Amino acid sequence: MFEELDDYRNKIREFALKEFTEEVAAEYDRKESYPDYLRKKSLSLGIVDMQNPAKVLIAIEELCRVDAGLGIALTTPYFGSEVIMLFGNDKQKEILNDVYRGKYILGLGVTEPSGGSDVAALKTTAKKQGNKYILNGSKMFITNGAIADYLVILARTSEDSNPHHGLSTFLLNTKSKGFSATKLEDKLGVRATNTAELQFNNIELSEDDLIGEEGKGFYYIMMFFNISRIYVAAQSIGIARGAFDKIKSYIKENNIKDEDSMFQLSDVGTRIEASIQMTYNAASYLFEFKPKPELTSMAKAYSSETAVFAAEEAMEILGDRSLYEDVQRIFRNAKIMEIWEGTSEIEKLVIARYILKGE
Amino acid sequence: MEEENNILRETVAEFCEKNLDEKKIETDGIDKKLTQLLAEQGFLGCAIPDKYSGSGLDETSYEIILEEIAKYSPTVAMRIFVLNSMYYPAVNGTAAEETLKDASTGKINIAVDFINKKTGNESVSGKIKGTLKNILGTDADKLVVFNDGTSLVSGPFKSESRDFMGFRGLKFGDLFLDNSVQVLDKSNRLSEIMEKAYGPASAIALGMIASALQKAIDYTNVRKAFGSQLRDFEPVSFRLARFRSTEVILRNSLYGKVDPYYTFNFAMEHLVEIARYSVNTHGGYGYFKDFGVEKFYRDAIVMKSIFYGTEELRKLTDHVYSEKINFI
Ligand SMILES: Cc1cc2nc3c(=O)[nH]c(=O)nc-3n(C[C@H](O)[C@H](O)[C@H](O)COP(=O)(O)OP(=O)(O)OC[C@H]3O[C@@H](n4cnc5c(N)ncnc54)[C@H](O)[C@@H]3O)c2cc1C
Repeated sequence: MFEELDDYRNKIREFALKEFTEEVAAEYDRKESYPDYLRKKSLSLGIVDMQNPAKVLIAIEELCRVDAGLGIALTTPYFGSEVIMLFGNDKQKEILNDVYRGKYILGLGVTEPSGGSDVAALKTTAKKQGNKYILNGSKMFITNGAIADYLVILARTSEDSNPHHGLSTFLLNTKSKGFSATKLEDKLGVRATNTAELQFNNIELSEDDLIGEEGKGFYYIMMFFNISRIYVAAQSIGIARGAFDKIKSYIKENNIKDEDSMFQLSDVGTRIEASIQMTYNAASYLFEFKPKPELTSMAKAYSSETAVFAAEEAMEILGDRSLYEDVQRIFRNAKIMEIWEGTSEIEKLVIARYILKGE
Repeated sequence: MEEENNILRETVAEFCEKNLDEKKIETDGIDKKLTQLLAEQGFLGCAIPDKYSGSGLDETSYEIILEEIAKYSPTVAMRIFVLNSMYYPAVNGTAAEETLKDASTGKINIAVDFINKKTGNESVSGKIKGTLKNILGTDADKLVVFNDGTSLVSGPFKSESRDFMGFRGLKFGDLFLDNSVQVLDKSNRLSEIMEKAYGPASAIALGMIASALQKAIDYTNVRKAFGSQLRDFEPVSFRLARFRSTEVILRNSLYGKVDPYYTFNFAMEHLVEIARYSVNTHGGYGYFKDFGVEKFYRDAIVMKSIFYGTEELRKLTDHVYSEKINFI
């Protein structure tokens, strides 16, 4: 599935090398602002093809390999689109088409100030009043939060003894009355992406804004994580490979031959190869509509830890050289991989649950 | 002795609590006022002898000061370290030792070119010309350059500062030199000076470990998920508890009788892992500056990248293989 796309991969790599120059990457990292001109350019060149998930995976990997801040900035305007694609109504799918075309930016809000791991404990409510829902609450750390036109929002629509029930997803227009977003600043990495805290103050939503069925939101989001975790694994592989590129050129340029360095090189290479195998394997089940959540979580947890491992190794192998070149940015970007779309601890809980289920 | 050390520890901690705002230091740098304050308290030149206006403290007191300050501001601890453990031994016993008075009292800023290890710059006939890249402390008035003839270069320098990942309060960048130099030594003494600084460097690492870990312990005591405090999830609390053992062992090694080679190695091996895990336990908040934990992760990797690598491992290995074996 993936080998057939080698030409596409080369095209993405070429684009990334041309556009993500050190100057551009360093500038957006420093300014902590969103590179909208690059998003537009990537759309006009067909860099992100959301209709083809294998291509998305490759694009994410190759873009993040050159710079994860810019790479993620170009591939997250569609974040949450799968929820609409799978469960949305016709009107929502029209909006989604405009997202694909670049007219709108999308985002997805699950995490709240009081917690992100424990999804079902969220406090945002969408109470039904007549044929409307009234949205109240707040969301935290939402990617694209302050630049999005639409957001997929998970909120509680009814109380239930099973906390997984009674949650619903909505497509929220950010121009709605009662919506506000505050950009969060001073992130460690991925600083070309926009992150915001959101407030919902008596926002009126219509029944048409509900995505899918009322009360099924938790399951929709878990289904979404099956997809998005694969993409985070791809981001991680990209970052790890970017770090590996730096290590390889440093070793070659400096004619380093000592055995300890060779062992470090081979450890990083081995872990990257394992991450690729795990991720592509999990993805191949998913792309045939037979997701295996345990394989997905294994790939996400392992690849994200590999990204951090490779970035730290690059810092150490390059020594003082790493401190002021792009390697330090790779290091700062890598850490988010272990946090978003489920921390490593949450992935481990998923893995264990499915392993025992299979017994 | 023990009591005196505890009093010193408390005094330093109190000072830090009151005067060190690391977020401000990271953006604005260590300003003149803070430098003066550090000098007045006797922290700036704490290990430099009285005759050069230092405090002439013993190694243990010096390390206690570094440890406590690093808990609040690794940047300030690093500045003190560079003066006491790198600049002082480089100029001590030379005609340049006169500069120590102004350095200990905060009248001048100093920097030591310890990142570049081997610079290509040669100090020909008492002058140095050209760009010296990647200096931590571009706001310096005097700079020690380690090359084949260790030299002291006097300012003023033209400089260009750049963003830097760690110890952000110390200005970082390039110096453009066309200055006269004073030769301090005929050889490059950086490696030897660094070896003598293993204790103090470990003290900074210890302070960072202790603080990053304490923040994680405090956070997991209050943050809840799935109806429990994070501390109730054993993989989390077990890990933090194990890190506390590491911290305690490191502290006892540092202030005990353990060979500094081993202490330094132990500190460097654990620093990054503990700082990283502190970010993890804070979830999304850990990724933002406001929570004050990501800086330990940045500073940790910078410290390890500068001070620890193949060269230090070779020294450690030589040290181990040359040790007298304790049995017949
Ligand atoms: C830059 C950035 C962008 C983000 N973008 C988005 C976005 O677009 N949309 C969105 O919804 N969210 C987003 N997030 C939020 C992210 O998904 C959450 O931060 C993450 O899920 C963790 O949640 P938390 O921060 O509330 O940490 P918590 O849930 O409070 O967890 C804190 C720590 O406790 C651990 N922990 C929790 N429960 C357990 C357990 N049972 N056992 C063991 N350990 C446990 C966690 O692993 C973690 O280490 C983003 C975050 C960041 C930093």
